[in-house]
Amino acid sequence: MTDRPILNVWNAEHAYGTRKVLRGVDLQVRPGEIYALLGPNGAGKSTLIGAICGRFKLGAGEVALDGEDPFTTPNARARLGLVPQEIALYGHMTVRENLEVFGRLSGVRRRDLSSAVALALYLTRTADREHVPVRHLSGGYRRRVNIAAAILHGPRLLILDEPTVGVDVDAREALDTVIRNLRDTGVAVLIVTHDLEQAGALADRVGFLREGRKVLEGAPRALIEQAFGQEMEILVQMHIEPDMDGESILAGEGLERRKGNLWARLDQDGYNAAAQLDRRLRSLGLIPREIRVRAPSLQNLFSLVADWRRAA
Amino acid sequence: MILAMFRVMALALWRDRGALVMTFVLPPLVFLIFSAVFAGTTGEDVRLKLVIADDANTPASRRLVDALMADPDVRAERAVPDTGEQVRRRVKSGRADSGVIVRADPTAPGSPIVVVSDPSRAVAAPLTMARVQQVMARALPDVLLDRTLVETAPAVGGFTPRQIAVAARVRARLAKGGSAPGGSPLFDREDITGAKKGGGTIAYYAGAVSILFALFSAMTGALSLIDERRSGVADRILAGTRGMGPVVTGKFLFLTAQGMVQATAIFATAQLIYGVPVLQHFGPWLATTVLASVCAAGLALGIVAFCKTRDQAQMLSTFIILILAAIGGSMVPRFLMPPWLQTVGWGTPHAWTIEAYQSILWRDAGLMAVYPAWAVLAATGLVGLRLAHTATRLIR
Repeated sequence: MTDRPILNVWNAEHAYGTRKVLRGVDLQVRPGEIYALLGPNGAGKSTLIGAICGRFKLGAGEVALDGEDPFTTPNARARLGLVPQEIALYGHMTVRENLEVFGRLSGVRRRDLSSAVALALYLTRTADREHVPVRHLSGGYRRRVNIAAAILHGPRLLILDEPTVGVDVDAREALDTVIRNLRDTGVAVLIVTHDLEQAGALADRVGFLREGRKVLEGAPRALIEQAFGQEMEILVQMHIEPDMDGESILAGEGLERRKGNLWARLDQDGYNAAAQLDRRLRSLGLIPREIRVRAPSLQNLFSLVADWRRAA
Repeated sequence: MILAMFRVMALALWRDRGALVMTFVLPPLVFLIFSAVFAGTTGEDVRLKLVIADDANTPASRRLVDALMADPDVRAERAVPDTGEQVRRRVKSGRADSGVIVRADPTAPGSPIVVVSDPSRAVAAPLTMARVQQVMARALPDVLLDRTLVETAPAVGGFTPRQIAVAARVRARLAKGGSAPGGSPLFDREDITGAKKGGGTIAYYAGAVSILFALFSAMTGALSLIDERRSGVADRILAGTRGMGPVVTGKFLFLTAQGMVQATAIFATAQLIYGVPVLQHFGPWLATTVLASVCAAGLALGIVAFCKTRDQAQMLSTFIILILAAIGGSMVPRFLMPPWLQTVGWGTPHAWTIEAYQSILWRDAGLMAVYPAWAVLAATGLVGLRLAHTATRLIR
């Protein structure tokens, strides 16, 4: 990773009518770096990506792709590859045919097309399906071909919009490997995602966007340590759905419902606290099926940020 | 880049065999059906179905009924029972195009024959009257002479005994099948292109169906612009350096080529089956075909590009295809329409396309006659293409 960013966004502001969606966002992404842009719906992520892709001019602030404005200088967009959230491919055409078409549409010269397609197939590990129509591919393969179609012209910045939507665990791991491979070739990767687990596993840096502002940015592990210090997350899976009294007891122990019958809390004294909690719940007639202790994740950080904003 | 999009469109059609068959087999088939249906109704082969009743039952009325029954140009049948009421019932029920009631002896003064018709088939009444008059002139000339003498006598102050005797001799000869002295027919018919028989309506419908299908297929193909917006392909392309320009131009070229292949299939059928002289006028035919296809492709892309959803585009394109086809003459010949609608029809590419093909293939009118049509078709297509480029830039 080099120090000079390929993407620079300074003080980006934008509004649709009277509704402000970006309120002074700064963002830098460097070659050989994976940056995950996180945030809830309506945080301004799509608007920011649209501005980076040169689709419209920002109300205020600047975007520079390798030093040039992608809106006023269309050639600057040659350094950019976009992987849309949808499978933006032609289903009736084979993988190779799709790549040839998108290669030509992204400006690859005819004589360079064959080698560009071969490299994209190699980097995305899709060469074994090159003659299969896209509509016959599995979801995971389609996602990888979706990426391949965006790297044919050798972009320096690759933007992936929700790349893991509808993808199973195995396919997601394959996808992560592809993204890391691209990062290792020196491409700057900007992922827009709701998938905090993927962001935590992949990203060198993450940025939280909320209500048009960047509220947090940094390396995932550093941010988590900074926010939670030595705290560990205790996860309690209850055996049966607690009644109202049981819920009061769990809440009294500082546990919050996560999803279904899973409850969680953060604690400085992770393992000891978990053991004490187990004994205490059993003594009160609540039998946990499982208690786990783990380091806090981006999900915890995300909740924390949401709570800060709510408190503010 | 443009050819890349041409290839996408071509492969989409090639790999959807159902669509492929419908694109290139349906147009000639529809043309054959249209030409068979409408060629008859526009005058080349009209054989009215008549129902006849003879209320007079005189020697002259019986001769008239027999002559009508034997006339090969009508499909005549006697009413059973042989009454005027039965004739009216059969016409009202639609089992006959019109009816003829001979209510008095045809030699009698006044109107001895009643033609019964349904207002929804208004054209049937004058056709029936003309046919009855024709039959009378051919098979009952003595009866016509009697009617003429009776109606002329008051105007000339009556005939002398010698004139009446001459008339009686002529009448007797006519009754035996002779011809009237100096009885030249009032009309002589001359076809505008004496050598061509039966191809005028065929050439008309070949043009009408080819522009109908060119626009229909172009609209369907242009819907891929909406699909590309929905599937994220447009996002991907817009993030590149060239934008949607090559995509729109590539589609335009493909849709033009598709329209040309469809027109070729239709006119090949017209030449093979009906002898429409396409190869004899190949140059002007090709130019008209290219420009009609350019017009359809540009118009379709221009309309679809401004729609935001597939539903909008489908509804709008169906509406436009039907309206343009109806008032442009693709369904019913324009000369059968009210004058104001014929004028409005010039606002459609269909009217200009049909006019150009008719001028070239039927009227041998020369290139000067088709330049205006070519100019209109080219301008419409290019304006549509320009609008499509503008819309794909505006709608991001």
